[in-house]
Amino acid sequence: MQKRRDGEGEEEPAKSVEGWILFVAGVHEEATEEELLSLFDEYGEVKNINLPLDRCTCYVKGYALIEYADLESAKQAMRAVDGNELNDQILRVSWAFLKGPIRDR
Amino acid sequence: MDEEDRFYVRYYIGHKGKFGHEFLEFEVKKDGLLRYANHTNYKSEKIIKKEVYCNKIVLEELKKIIDSSKVLNADDDKWPEPDKVGRQELEIVSGNEHISFVTTKIGSLLDTKDSQDPEGMANFYYLVQDLKALVFAVMDMHFKIKPI
Repeated sequence: MQKRRDGEGEEEPAKSVEGWILFVAGVHEEATEEELLSLFDEYGEVKNINLPLDRCTCYVKGYALIEYADLESAKQAMRAVDGNELNDQILRVSWAFLKGPIRDR
Repeated sequence: MDEEDRFYVRYYIGHKGKFGHEFLEFEVKKDGLLRYANHTNYKSEKIIKKEVYCNKIVLEELKKIIDSSKVLNADDDKWPEPDKVGRQELEIVSGNEHISFVTTKIGSLLDTKDSQDPEGMANFYYLVQDLKALVFAVMDMHFKIKPI
């Protein structure tokens, strides 16, 4: 999968009810909210973390949603963390929600 | 549109009981649009309907969840028909695969063990849980709403 280049082809994020949400993929199965919080709160106030479990195995399913209070923190976090490794797995971080439909490239 | 690009997911669960037609339905389209509807007459007559555009990364995760569930290889031939307990519908289009399953409500894994296709139904049961988990996470984070 191609790593997203800064600014290029980046869709406009949509603001959520109370903040800005990042979607994180490639989360290892034993990840904890604490672990994610300590990774992400370096860039600003993290208001909420949603880390769903696999209903069958009870391990973490592999993705998370991270909510920041402000846009700049979310942007910085995305740029800094996307492509980083956590427990031997590469994290991918992007906006969760967009203002409009995904554009075909 | 390339066949390989096709992607569509729709899930419905509902029943008609003393509180009217209670249901949950969501649909995800290839352009990222997630549409969600939740209705119950219990305590209020409101139907909650929401829409949000999800980014490609969310669709990719959905696709990954679907592919690893083996549900695309299943068949609802031997599954119980919808009845007064309820109805579930799952439709998935992914590349050149297409499934459309209709069955009754599944209360728990125990229900699947009694069926004529325990493995297929169990895969379906867990996939539905995982799809719901993702959609509910989206609804909760973006709209601050939880399902009824």
